Amino acid sequence: MRAPHATGPIRDPTSVRYTRCTVDLTEGAVAFGDLACRNLEDVLGGFGRSFQLLAEHTVTDAYASDSPLVVNTGVLTGSSVMTGLRAYFSAYSPLKVSNAGLPAAMWSAGSGKFGSKLRWTGVDEIVIAGRSAQPVVLVLRATSAGPSAELVSAVPLLGLECFRKILALQPDYPDAHFAVIGPAGEHFDACYFGAVALSTENLLKTGDDKCRWAGRGGMGSVMGSKNLVGIVAQAPDQVVAPSPRIRALNKDIATGPGSRKFREASRGGLGGTWANYEPLDRFAFVPQQNFRPQGDGRARKMFRSAVEPEFIIKAESCFKCGINCHKNLYERTADGLRGAFRAKFDYEPLNLLSTNLGIDDPHAAWPLVARVDQLGMDSISIGTTIAYVLDYNTRHPDSPILNGARFGDANKVADLIELAGTGRCPEVGRGVKRLSEQLGEPAYAMHCKGLEFPAYIPDTNPGYPWAIAGGHMSMATYMLLALEQDRSVDYWVKAITERGLYFVRDDLLGLCKFAMLNAEAAPLALAEEVGLHVTREELLAAVRRAFIRALWLERKQGYERADYTLPAEVFDRPNPMLEIEPFITREFFGSLSERVWAVFDREIADLERTATTP
Amino acid sequence: MSVRVRLPALFADRIGGVGVVDTTAPTVEGALREVGRRYPALATLVLASDGRVNPVIVVFLNDRQLPADRLGAPVRAGDEIDIVPAIEGG
Repeated sequence: MRAPHATGPIRDPTSVRYTRCTVDLTEGAVAFGDLACRNLEDVLGGFGRSFQLLAEHTVTDAYASDSPLVVNTGVLTGSSVMTGLRAYFSAYSPLKVSNAGLPAAMWSAGSGKFGSKLRWTGVDEIVIAGRSAQPVVLVLRATSAGPSAELVSAVPLLGLECFRKILALQPDYPDAHFAVIGPAGEHFDACYFGAVALSTENLLKTGDDKCRWAGRGGMGSVMGSKNLVGIVAQAPDQVVAPSPRIRALNKDIATGPGSRKFREASRGGLGGTWANYEPLDRFAFVPQQNFRPQGDGRARKMFRSAVEPEFIIKAESCFKCGINCHKNLYERTADGLRGAFRAKFDYEPLNLLSTNLGIDDPHAAWPLVARVDQLGMDSISIGTTIAYVLDYNTRHPDSPILNGARFGDANKVADLIELAGTGRCPEVGRGVKRLSEQLGEPAYAMHCKGLEFPAYIPDTNPGYPWAIAGGHMSMATYMLLALEQDRSVDYWVKAITERGLYFVRDDLLGLCKFAMLNAEAAPLALAEEVGLHVTREELLAAVRRAFIRALWLERKQGYERADYTLPAEVFDRPNPMLEIEPFITREFFGSLSERVWAVFDREIADLERTATTP
Repeated sequence: MSVRVRLPALFADRIGGVGVVDTTAPTVEGALREVGRRYPALATLVLASDGRVNPVIVVFLNDRQLPADRLGAPVRAGDEIDIVPAIEGG
């Protein structure tokens, strides 16, 4: 991402240029291009740019050879701004699908150090199409003449778990970081939620399975469909001393209120997303038994305070990040010392692979969390789909499906994880939308638009249907009922259309959402890092255009009003155990939907009028 | 000199990006109420529907977490209060 040489501030996004690497896997051809940004979204990057490219393609099959996979960074990835580490994987998703049967555009973001290394090779964006005859790894390098690329055989890597693929590549590529798929992505036909694992310095130094993830939407499965097993980004670090203003910003990220939730108590924090258990439990909002809290207090067995005496928890980080959000679980040895690494406990994977499956023993939970990572699956999608299986089997005790697993049966859950992640259980591997429709019981399948719900019950969040790329990562309404307890239609219309959608800002910028950067800080970072001067309002307008464009792109793929809804049981079987009376009736949701679309329809129409490709 | 209340992005974004509010109240709870009064858009985030301080926010005073039953703690000029939502995902 380069601004022209200028003596003063620049205002025109089209004067900023970026480097694209185009890969045709069918032909084994690679080319580089130098492109001018078309608008501010192009400058910002992430899905703001990738969705404009996806909009230019007509795709009816997510695994079609000519369906592009875009790997890019945000404008602040690899910069001196703390948490500027994100890489984005965008494509038409095998998992996110309209009722008309067409795949929808999706992005998935991950930290680690791969994104920074990619940026430091001199490449801002990779556009990958075709399908390689043999499994390959794409190797990008920084050279004195600019970036170079080659495709090398990935045959020796096949079948290896994600972190073992990375460790196998590491000796051949010093000074590199890696994005790889696991066995799940290799078995893309039977597993639609294969994830992309991104390497961290911690992984490369310790050999422990400490990847970060672009988990949602099956981007690893898309890679697998192209016979692309990994991407290597090899470049020397380009760490520069931050300017005084960026230094102050970084201090605010590391010590300010925004990141306190994710920091350790010893560093003035609340202990990570894991600590969501306690406040949600106060309202009986912690998912249990397929998103149906039981009000029995069992969720407390997974509170960090309950688990910590039996393990040692160490807070670790991606790269040059003072937040240390990774809460890594280690064995506690007989003499009380730190033993072997076991798993990383975040709220989402932990809840969806334990409490929501009726499992409340941390010794039974960590192997499930660890195995999902090793196989390279999205923990949200596999956890929520298995919860449906357990629920179905509970409702049909005389005719259970698959291995007959029920809530609390950790061994049978482990079997389902193993089978799905190795391509031997397409019923689970193709996600809860397809499974529930095949079984004719979609009412309690916990998803919107084919994307399984994260660990926030839908009874509390009528904003889920308008999330573009996952319920809690692309619509900031999942926590609002507990925070404000407002159940009026007026409130939720505003929450979705005026506030929640801006949560995707960092999915353009290259920052981790855990930085919780104030809206004032982003223009400052843009000015310091690129030399581009935009106002807060201009930045927010670009984020809004990107969001509206993503809605338009859903519509292009056949999405209609009926796609934007919640599981029927939210309306028809309210849960009396919740501490706040259920409020999402069909009447409420119908009224909300009308008013939300009145806002978004108008903006989609405006976007269509002002651009040939919105 | 006043007591500074630092707001998370979730709050700041509702009031035009204002991330810091300087207050003059003599206690932590008073400072939070002052924020709610001066910025009605934050009222339901800072104060619950029953008028008490929202139980789903956590308050830090000078970098130390303040238990909910200590919000009456006195503050002095130069003190710093952070408001943190107890539920955040990612």
